[in-house]
Amino acid sequence: MRLSRFWFVFPLAAIALAFAAAGCGGSSKSGSSGSGGELVFGTAADPVVLDGALVSDGESLRPIDQMFEGLVTLKDGTTEVVPALATSWKADPAGTAWTFNLRENVKFHDGTDFNAEAVCFNFDRWYNFKGPFQEQSATYYWQTVFGGFSDGKTPSLYKSCEAKDDHTVVINLTKPSASFLGALALSNFTIASPTALKKYGADKGSVDEETGFKPTGTYGTQHPTGTGPFKFVSWTRGDRLVMERNDDYWGDKAKLDRLIFRPIADNAARLQALQSGEIQGYDLVEPQDIKTIEGDDNLQILDRPAFNVGYVTINQKVPPFDKIEVRQAVAAGLDRDAVVKNFYAGRGEVAKAFMPPSLEGYADDVQTYTYDPAKAKSLLQKAGVQMPLKVDFWYPTDVSRPYMPDPKRNFEAFAASLNKSGFKVVPHSAPWSPDYVGRVDGGKAGALNLIGWTGDYGDPDNFIGTFFQQPTDQFGFQNEEIFNTLNKAERETDSAKRTELYQEANREIMKFLPGVPYVHTKPALAFQSNVKGYVPSPVSLEPFSIVSIEK
Amino acid sequence: MSVAELEAREVGLEGPSSGLWSEAWRRLRHNPSAIVGFVMVGTFVFVALFAPLIATHDPLEQDLSLLNGGCCPGPSAEHWFGVDALGRDLFSRVVYGARYSLLIGVVSVAVGLSIGLLIGAIAGYAGGWVDSLLMRLMDIMLSIPGLLLAIGIVAALGPGLVQIMIAVGVTQIPIFARLLRGSILATKETDYILAARSVGIRGRVILSSHVIPNSISPVIVQGTLALATAIIDVAGLGFLGLGPQDPSTPEWGTMLTDTTRYLQTAPFLALIPGAAIVISVLGFNLIGDGLREALDPRFRGRA
Amino acid sequence: MLKFIVRRLLLLVPILIGLSFLVFIWIRALPGGPAEALLGERATPEAIAKIERDYGLNKPITVQYWDYVKTTATGDLGTSVTTRRAVTDELKQRFPATIELAIAAMLFSLLGIPLGFFAAKHYGKAIDSASLFVSLLGVSVPIFFLAILLKYVFAVQLGWLPTTGRVDARIDFDHPTNFYLLDSLWTGDFSIFWDCVKHLILPAIALGSIPLAIIARITRAAVLDVQNEDYVRVARAKGLSPREVDSRHVLRNALLPIITIIGLQTGLLLSGAVLTETVFAWPGIGTWLVDAIRSRNFPVLQGGILFVSVIFVLVNLAVDVTYAVVNPKIRVS
Repeated sequence: MRLSRFWFVFPLAAIALAFAAAGCGGSSKSGSSGSGGELVFGTAADPVVLDGALVSDGESLRPIDQMFEGLVTLKDGTTEVVPALATSWKADPAGTAWTFNLRENVKFHDGTDFNAEAVCFNFDRWYNFKGPFQEQSATYYWQTVFGGFSDGKTPSLYKSCEAKDDHTVVINLTKPSASFLGALALSNFTIASPTALKKYGADKGSVDEETGFKPTGTYGTQHPTGTGPFKFVSWTRGDRLVMERNDDYWGDKAKLDRLIFRPIADNAARLQALQSGEIQGYDLVEPQDIKTIEGDDNLQILDRPAFNVGYVTINQKVPPFDKIEVRQAVAAGLDRDAVVKNFYAGRGEVAKAFMPPSLEGYADDVQTYTYDPAKAKSLLQKAGVQMPLKVDFWYPTDVSRPYMPDPKRNFEAFAASLNKSGFKVVPHSAPWSPDYVGRVDGGKAGALNLIGWTGDYGDPDNFIGTFFQQPTDQFGFQNEEIFNTLNKAERETDSAKRTELYQEANREIMKFLPGVPYVHTKPALAFQSNVKGYVPSPVSLEPFSIVSIEK
Repeated sequence: MSVAELEAREVGLEGPSSGLWSEAWRRLRHNPSAIVGFVMVGTFVFVALFAPLIATHDPLEQDLSLLNGGCCPGPSAEHWFGVDALGRDLFSRVVYGARYSLLIGVVSVAVGLSIGLLIGAIAGYAGGWVDSLLMRLMDIMLSIPGLLLAIGIVAALGPGLVQIMIAVGVTQIPIFARLLRGSILATKETDYILAARSVGIRGRVILSSHVIPNSISPVIVQGTLALATAIIDVAGLGFLGLGPQDPSTPEWGTMLTDTTRYLQTAPFLALIPGAAIVISVLGFNLIGDGLREALDPRFRGRA
Repeated sequence: MLKFIVRRLLLLVPILIGLSFLVFIWIRALPGGPAEALLGERATPEAIAKIERDYGLNKPITVQYWDYVKTTATGDLGTSVTTRRAVTDELKQRFPATIELAIAAMLFSLLGIPLGFFAAKHYGKAIDSASLFVSLLGVSVPIFFLAILLKYVFAVQLGWLPTTGRVDARIDFDHPTNFYLLDSLWTGDFSIFWDCVKHLILPAIALGSIPLAIIARITRAAVLDVQNEDYVRVARAKGLSPREVDSRHVLRNALLPIITIIGLQTGLLLSGAVLTETVFAWPGIGTWLVDAIRSRNFPVLQGGILFVSVIFVLVNLAVDVTYAVVNPKIRVS
């Protein structure tokens, strides 16, 4: 072989050319036809499966919201219930039989008709889930709202569904419920095409206790079929989920031609992708990036109304945290003001209770606690514990939550203030998925752990009812007073009395201190400036059908 | 002095005498890169040893009020390197971080070196099936890429500072083992050893006066380079979240993980600890490299 | 020649067996054994027993190992716990991504050859020391730090190159082989190809920087060595022009150690890939394995690590064979 001395020039030149061209090369788009255009949205993770009945995570629910609809929905940006697939409804005097009048001339994406039979097919499917499908990891929301299933192991709110005619359906409950209608707006109760459900084996698969439903049929991964303004095109895990406008939609057609969800796990990477134009929007903006985005003329920040709570669990199964003085010492040992003021870029407010102030049932006069290391120490002394009190404190890794954008940071600040207050913190962490939530729920995350909650629907039951209405492994306590108040409140149909009962419950809870809430936040979304029409919702129910891209 | 040693001296079979070392030292002193390396490593070790005296603040002390709702104030008169996301002085954390890196480097290399040399010595001396078996074992260990092997060990041991030191140390065993074995084998075959044996000088003498001195130089060179690799590998493991489980620990690699999210607003949070790693590692590499050239017999005799 | 290859291939067998055994043991040494890891805190005794039966964990360890060997030998590497897809399917998707990155990085690192050559030619002068310094700097910068820096400078500040993934989110094209560069060329649309190349540049530089530094140094050392050999002096004495001397003798002989070192970079590339892929969200083997460790996804870990190590061993074998082909002296030993 004859090697010229300058043989290396060619590869060098090629690289130099590449850099030069990279600078002036325009981005290549696939052909975007039509006035609507295409929007790429950066998500934090892939959906689990595209079947509303079997998921509970935000990333699965986001595309489901675009492709499916339920009997009712929430008005954009609010928690007010408005018609969707049902145009009107009425409960009978007993409050147990709800009649829904269904919208006419609606078709599923596969061309089959939407009718009362389809509604009953869906409800009965959920009611008849058996075996592992009754795990909380699979059918969490059914169980939260309705309780049990057809096998009767646990009592169920749901009794039956009757298709009176093509456009009238009656849902029978076993007892009156004040929150039933609001709950129907949950994306988990959206109506899917019975034909598709059957044809593609929607119920085929297994359930993993930790991570939920693992389908073997292709319904939830390749053929989700609803009635919504977008329909499914394709989904490649780890790459993208593609939807396109449903031109046969019964209502206002979507403005966009195509909608693509792209998972980018790293927050900083999402920001960079937005700045470079690779994505046109993303959720869960980190507080320190908000200034950067606001300062950029090509980008905009949208606020989601505060509807969450971040708190520190106190597991009373771990002694001596079953003593009230010790719990009060924890509250006195957490510098919540400093954390909320400095870590949330002005978008957080210190939480006094386990539900946000905007919700009915909020009581302003609950017992409050301030950061006071000396007081904490004297409380511990009163409780008779040896100081410094060793405490196992857990926090999650690899995650960013709306109420806790940087869990490790919160943890370190709290640990430092606790260490000053007579405690000795032993740090523990676990990845959010698959371990952390399971650990917290199961009471296996130490005496203290960091967690939170974003509301799913506008009812206090969704917050304090979920946490404290019955004994849980997470909090590990038995307090009949609190249980009774909450149970009464849930059943109460008179709304004024209900509000009073929930306020009473909040007072009892903050006195008993099963945990220490510390923040409510206004999560932020970021978009390019030319994206118009997006309406943030407190419960993250946000349709892309009303979004358009200005040229 | 035994008869054997007298005879060894006579036949001129002494191992590398002080001649080699002093000449190597002389060449090292005139090597500008090596000098720079010494300065860097010297600073690094000095800072690590005298950290409490050099640091201006407590590396764990948080002052959230400095953050003013954002992140993070950069270098100032009060805080020379600025302040991190929890209001801790970055200069002090970097200074204390030197301690961790030095400790980690030394312990890992000690683990790898001691076990590796032992294995290599046994293999080189025993020969035969012992040698084959041990070297196959080393081959298997080498057949898994370094970081993956370390990750695997940490996964089994659980995350933590001690665990990553062990993991990184273990990944270095095959290198030292092969090195010593190779050196032993090479020395075994040289003419003057054969001559020495034919004259009747005992193995133990040969070992101490020839084999070991000849093997020391590559081991020293490799040891220095191994220190450099250890510091980087541990930083990598820390970056992946497998390092010290107390997040307030001022270890350079772990300090780098937290900071990628602040690249746009406070890049110095990543750049400074990163630079610290680069400087210390570079220092060891420069010295190791200089040593290699200084001790290389081929260059002996040339200016 | 053939005998040599066959002998080396036979040596491969005990290494592979040892490897598979090591991986097998390692998986079972991970904290929170398979059954518990799969079930989490809600593990009831019945559930654990069922999992153990399903996965054959209650059989004696030798039987388990034998089953494992049997299934693996047929190419069935199990099913991923988190995505329920066959491990081999995920491998088919992830492996080309890493290979593409590794090859690009390798190509970038070949720049080390002319750099090392240049430094050797100017031995002793300032520029030689400087290039030595720079190449040492190259191995002293942690890959993930370099990746972050590159991202920051070229993507965030200058906006020239993209920051994550293999291709722009708005582009959709068929990639049957999962080698995006090949598949995009196949579509005939050059802009897609170009976009894939752009996504490859920064990760390849980050990953290839250390091999580049090493190759540069070895080239320099090898060229220096060869230059002083007798046959080179003879060639010069014969009156050959410097260029001919260089190309016919120096380079050709210096190539030997260079080739060896290139082959040995595979290990570095694979471990570096883990860190680089994390920073650039590159969907390759590195991120796959690290995620699998975090989620204790045993089938993925077992199959993935085994596969990677086998590839590594095979590449080493290829390097040895190449070396032997180029250098007849080795074959005899």
